[in-house]
Amino acid sequence: MTSPPKSPVRLGAIGMDQRQLNALSLLFSSKCNNRYILVEEESAEICILDLDVFGGERLWEECRERHPDLPLILVSLKTRSISDSYTVFVQKPIPVKLLIMAIEKQRRLLLITTADEADLIDEETPAATEMKALERPDTPCEAPRAPPKVSRAASLMSVTEEKHFVGTAQDIDSNNPAQWEKIFYNPDHYLLGHLQQALNLAVKHNRNVAVEGPWPKIHLMAETHTVRVYSEERHLRPFCTIPDSTLEASLRLFDEVKSQASTFQEYPVYAFFWKLALWASRGRLPEGTNLTQPIYLRRWPNFTRLVVTPHAIAIAATWTEQPRSLVDTAAALGIPQRYVFAFYSATKAVQLAGETRRAVDTLLAPQSIEQSSRRGLLGRLLDRLRG
Amino acid sequence: MNDFKIIFSGPVGAGKTTAIGAISDIDPVTTDEQATDMTKVQKPGTTVAMDYGQITLDESEKIHLYGTPGQERFNFMWDILTQGGIGLVLLLNNTRPDPFRDMHFFLNAFQAFIASSKVVIGVTQMDLSRTPTIEDYHLQLENSGTKVPIFDVDARDKRDVSLLVEALLYSLDPGLGG
Ligand SMILES: Nc1nc2c(ncn2[C@@H]2O[C@H](COP(=O)(O)OP(=O)(O)OP(=O)(O)O)[C@@H](O)[C@H]2O)c(=O)[nH]1
Ligand SMILES: [Mg+2]
Repeated sequence: MTSPPKSPVRLGAIGMDQRQLNALSLLFSSKCNNRYILVEEESAEICILDLDVFGGERLWEECRERHPDLPLILVSLKTRSISDSYTVFVQKPIPVKLLIMAIEKQRRLLLITTADEADLIDEETPAATEMKALERPDTPCEAPRAPPKVSRAASLMSVTEEKHFVGTAQDIDSNNPAQWEKIFYNPDHYLLGHLQQALNLAVKHNRNVAVEGPWPKIHLMAETHTVRVYSEERHLRPFCTIPDSTLEASLRLFDEVKSQASTFQEYPVYAFFWKLALWASRGRLPEGTNLTQPIYLRRWPNFTRLVVTPHAIAIAATWTEQPRSLVDTAAALGIPQRYVFAFYSATKAVQLAGETRRAVDTLLAPQSIEQSSRRGLLGRLLDRLRG
Repeated sequence: MNDFKIIFSGPVGAGKTTAIGAISDIDPVTTDEQATDMTKVQKPGTTVAMDYGQITLDESEKIHLYGTPGQERFNFMWDILTQGGIGLVLLLNNTRPDPFRDMHFFLNAFQAFIASSKVVIGVTQMDLSRTPTIEDYHLQLENSGTKVPIFDVDARDKRDVSLLVEALLYSLDPGLGG
């Protein structure tokens, strides 16, 4: 058995659920060489407290009453300034580097008070080297690396198609609310919204629903879970992309039709909603979407039967690995935001994606994407497959 | 010469030979003694039917596509076959009596390889048998802790097979670009 260098710093975590505790433990063991360990509050030298838990402010007060001079690290999604010299604040999601810096800062406090100066990290100890490593821009804890240089033949999509599904919008600055307005759309203002209502109705009554208006005839079939469109796609698309072109919609329940003379295109509901969402989105986001909350993907979409927008597979691989915010996803993959926004719109419309509500997902800032040692080879193979 | 391989596996009639053919630069061959991997384990006189295809990247780089023998009596081969493999493409035949059993069997058999690489699953013959659905397959793996790409694949369709392999590549490295 090998013991960790010196004795590990004992950290208590207050207001954290099991997932958050696991995330911290994993971080300490995998990235910090077990220099820190999690213990119960009673035996902790330093505590880290999540203010965002229900009653967080009260937990903080109570903790201070119990231990007036315990070195404390407060974390929250909302920034705040702290005057107490035993307390430091770190904003969530916490970049690993900042967390370690905060712990080390508090540890110095500890050592000064116990006059054990010799134990301070000096420049050459393993921990110091590790921290330096963490500060290097290419290490896993660092924010988005530079975009990949190579631009591959984007995907299996033509330029025109891409314009229809993803648009051409420029990136926005997520810190500038003035720019937010243009990246949101309201699904209810497009055919997508009516189809969503129609689906609810069809499920509730287990009957077919006709979505009627100035557009080509659309039937949502309850039994087969399909959508029939009685015209070519190009006649349908304007109603899916122009807001409020669908104001006079009505939904009508009906039972199985006698064999219709006219021909129709039949889509699985899932694939149809996916496409409608892309048309409505054109690289924008459903109103109310949070740009900085991590996004999870419940499972991989069945890509072979869906419109595959550029970078969609990369985004899916990223989100199934770890939830990540929309803005951060674009930055981490080095791609324009519109591709992420379009893909989110589609996955949201079929209820595959959403904003995480788990505390653990906003605790630590996501690590940058790990580069495979075979990236060059994998990339060349990818090009060949698309070629 | 850099040589890498992708392993295609799955039960009898899952579309391994067809899928390899769909993306291979050469006509897929059924090997007996040709592949170097085989000769190491082969007892004199035995022949084992295994599919082989390849994708040439440039003069010095090739991707070998290996299809495992369908019959379970050749399972002993799999460990050797997967050495140095970059990932597993598992094909399942939706018309088989119990495709979930097939899935668990193969995931289990290749457990060690998957743990050190990645796996993607293609369900074939869904045009012939619509159930179980892709959703049903996901539900089977819900508690496995990882999210595996599972696509409806017609092994005869190059786009389907390519997308499945693309998902494998991005699972290995989401930051691949493109
Ligand atoms: N209808 C239909 N046929 C398919 C599909 N995928 C593959 N096939 C056909 O299924 C048959 C079996 O495919 P193979 O490629 O021979 O399967 P295999 O996995 O190599 O089978 P073994 O070598 O016996 O283990 C072939 O005739 C394929 O053309 C599919 O999605 N739908
Ligand atoms: Mg075969």
